Amino acid sequence: MTRGRVLPLDLDELAACVSCGLCLAHCPTYRATGEETRSPRGRIAAMRAVEAGAEAGPSFLDILGTCVVCRACETACPSSVPFGHLMEASRQAVADRAVPWWQRLAYRTLEHPRLLAALTAAGAVAQRAHLVPGSLRRRLSLPELPLRRARLAATGGDVWLLTGCVMDAWQRPVHADTVAVLAAMGVGVALPGPGAACCGALHSHAGLHGRAATLARRVMAALPGPAPVLVDSAGCGAALKEYGHLLGTAEGAAFSARVFDIQEWIAARADLLPAPMPSHRRLRIAVQDPCHLRHVQKAESHVRTVLRPYGELVELTDEGRCCGAGGAFSALQPELARTIRSEKTAVIDAAGADVVASPNPGCAMWLAAAGVEVRHPMEIVAAAAGLAAPR
Amino acid sequence: MTTDGDLVAQLRAALSPERVRTDPMELGLYARDASMLVGRASVVCFPESTEEVAAAVAACARAGRPFVARGSGTGLAGGATPVGDEPPVVIVTTKMNRILDVDADSRVAWVQPGVLNLDLSRAVAHFGLHFAPDPSSQQSCSVGGNVANNSGGPHCLLYGVTNAHILAVEVVLPDGQVVVLGGLDPEPDGLDLRGAFVGSEGTMGIATRIAVRLTPLPPTVATLLADFPTMADAARAVTAVIAAGVVPAALEMMDATIVEVVEAFVHAGFPTDAAAVLLVEVDGLSGGLAVVTDVVTSVLARHGARAVRVAADAAERAAWWKGRKSAFGAVARIAPNYYLHDCVVPRTHLVEVLEQVSRICAEQDLTLGNVFHAGDGNLHPLIVFDARVPGVLERVHAAGAAIVEACVAAGGSLSGEHGIGLEKRDAMPLVFGPADLRAQAHLRDAFDPAGLCNPAKVLPRGGTRCADVADLPEGVWI
Repeated sequence: MTRGRVLPLDLDELAACVSCGLCLAHCPTYRATGEETRSPRGRIAAMRAVEAGAEAGPSFLDILGTCVVCRACETACPSSVPFGHLMEASRQAVADRAVPWWQRLAYRTLEHPRLLAALTAAGAVAQRAHLVPGSLRRRLSLPELPLRRARLAATGGDVWLLTGCVMDAWQRPVHADTVAVLAAMGVGVALPGPGAACCGALHSHAGLHGRAATLARRVMAALPGPAPVLVDSAGCGAALKEYGHLLGTAEGAAFSARVFDIQEWIAARADLLPAPMPSHRRLRIAVQDPCHLRHVQKAESHVRTVLRPYGELVELTDEGRCCGAGGAFSALQPELARTIRSEKTAVIDAAGADVVASPNPGCAMWLAAAGVEVRHPMEIVAAAAGLAAPR
Repeated sequence: MTTDGDLVAQLRAALSPERVRTDPMELGLYARDASMLVGRASVVCFPESTEEVAAAVAACARAGRPFVARGSGTGLAGGATPVGDEPPVVIVTTKMNRILDVDADSRVAWVQPGVLNLDLSRAVAHFGLHFAPDPSSQQSCSVGGNVANNSGGPHCLLYGVTNAHILAVEVVLPDGQVVVLGGLDPEPDGLDLRGAFVGSEGTMGIATRIAVRLTPLPPTVATLLADFPTMADAARAVTAVIAAGVVPAALEMMDATIVEVVEAFVHAGFPTDAAAVLLVEVDGLSGGLAVVTDVVTSVLARHGARAVRVAADAAERAAWWKGRKSAFGAVARIAPNYYLHDCVVPRTHLVEVLEQVSRICAEQDLTLGNVFHAGDGNLHPLIVFDARVPGVLERVHAAGAAIVEACVAAGGSLSGEHGIGLEKRDAMPLVFGPADLRAQAHLRDAFDPAGLCNPAKVLPRGGTRCADVADLPEGVWI
């Protein structure tokens, strides 16, 4: 492998794009703007220009920064150009200038569960007292934060469940439902310590490679042994599955091989799923495919397998296009993210479902902020089987 | 003389400051389309309406500045590559992407030029209709680009190329006037200027609204996949299918090189040990379909097909087509660059021309893939190479010239559907005499007397009055 002179990417991977443009229609930002600077092909052309000597100035930072890194282009690309690797490596080269101190601080917060819990409690109070300024509220589009966190307890040692950062702070009932569903299947769940509080996905997407690698090693240490590592956040699951690439070590690759999206793992044991209660009303469920479940983990079919016993599945007609959440994207590029979301909500409205199932907390919160009725698949299963944790 | 600054100021006033760009890196992204030909743009602008296109064109006309229309930039002949001594303004139509009106009863839709081909078909599918021209790039290419190139596609064998599906076009002429060519009447009066415009490759103005004919979806479809031990057997089978009186909806060939790369992408179960694969689609009423399928199957078997499979369901059919339509993009699995030809030869000469093409590439030590519309003799010899290897471009060049000459010698033409653009411009005298070229230049000059509209394209040096056709700028590679 030959690394670039300017960008720490694999030059053969960079050369693998023939500029055919078949990615364009699958790229959410190209869809929203029709501009090459907002397209995978254009971004790769810009990387090539920089490698060839062009200045990696503000326009290059803008071209990199307006990518959601949804990686839909990878699925669409007939030559399978590893766009995610190219983008993360390019961002790594410019991270010093592209990622300001306040962003780094926010990412750091995710690594500290106690700090995050304290901020969450403060935020929850501020929200209820209407103390959050409108501009900040619009930029972050946060859900209503919980005042108190539900209890979450281990039930055994068959599998690990990654608890993560924001999800554990804001959506712990999803974890509780996941544990309950697994218990009903006869599977005991072990919970990791604070070392597994942050998977490093956002650091990695931002190009903060060193920090992401540190967090990856910490997560691996917190989830030892041979037990499968189950993840109920599609974004985190994708990040864990890429530790092999991130660290470039056999140990990382071996860990990644133990990682499963929760739906992926359950789908292989679907016969053990608890039966719906007789009183359960079958809902029309539209499945929203998080990009990193569909394009990175390629596990979107398993969500359907898991949900099928509990409702009538409705397919959205946009081939799983991004909703615009994109980890930190919706906060960093709010205007673009909203344009992308409005197309998504139009497709969701047209589907006429009772509820949207989203296996990724970021997408779920972002869609809920636009008024969409969203549940995690595990919440739907737990509710249908009468296992739901008290809210 | 208008300076760049004046022109940019006028464009910004006509559109909006935000939609007129001069940043060098962004300009670089508009220096080429999906071909390998690289030019240089001076300004890129994104109009959102007919009025804005007209204003942008008028500003260019006043400034005497050439301009180039661009849709999705998926063209393969450099049609949207901006070239000229004075770098042209690129007018991008991608933000004009609304379907304006659908009349399902009359099977007509008015669309803006930036609407994507497949989006249009999907949007009218619930009426049981589709837009029949289906280039392999249909998921990304725009209807405006289809009009410019008179695009084809696998199913154009039965349904006809884009020209047969365009009823009227609202055009911004190169001086900024807006006219409508053609009409919705069955037979509009006067000369068929619409017919002249479709396929003019952006040299006669910019389409801003397009009335497309919508075609009913076929009631039933059968897709067959046949594999052959030699290319020659497959080519003879193609001729035999048509000779048997069947006009399939599509009749496509892929050779072993192509089958290998597309199978690696789609995992559709293509036979990777076959020398050639034919993809045959027939459609029609269910009663007739079984009969036609049997006829095609037996003809294929008689001509040496080792196996003929019929797609079991819509998913398998879709996977086969996805493979076929991804072929060009998939060749980076072999090497990072491709040079694609688009010659058409009489079907009866397929066998010998394919052998010649193969020999030419072997002589130049180049990797060749063949994936093409066999039913209408539209070859797509695809030379795959790594441009970083010293000396390879010269060999690709030499092989390309020899392939074009061989096709023309067999009674063929230069381009089936990708257009002449910049790429095949200088080969035009191979098929047209001076009088033909002059006549085409006159027609073009009637639309664009100032020679500002996508200059240096289609007609060879000396073929138009424009002086700036004389030399290609540095960096342009043909």
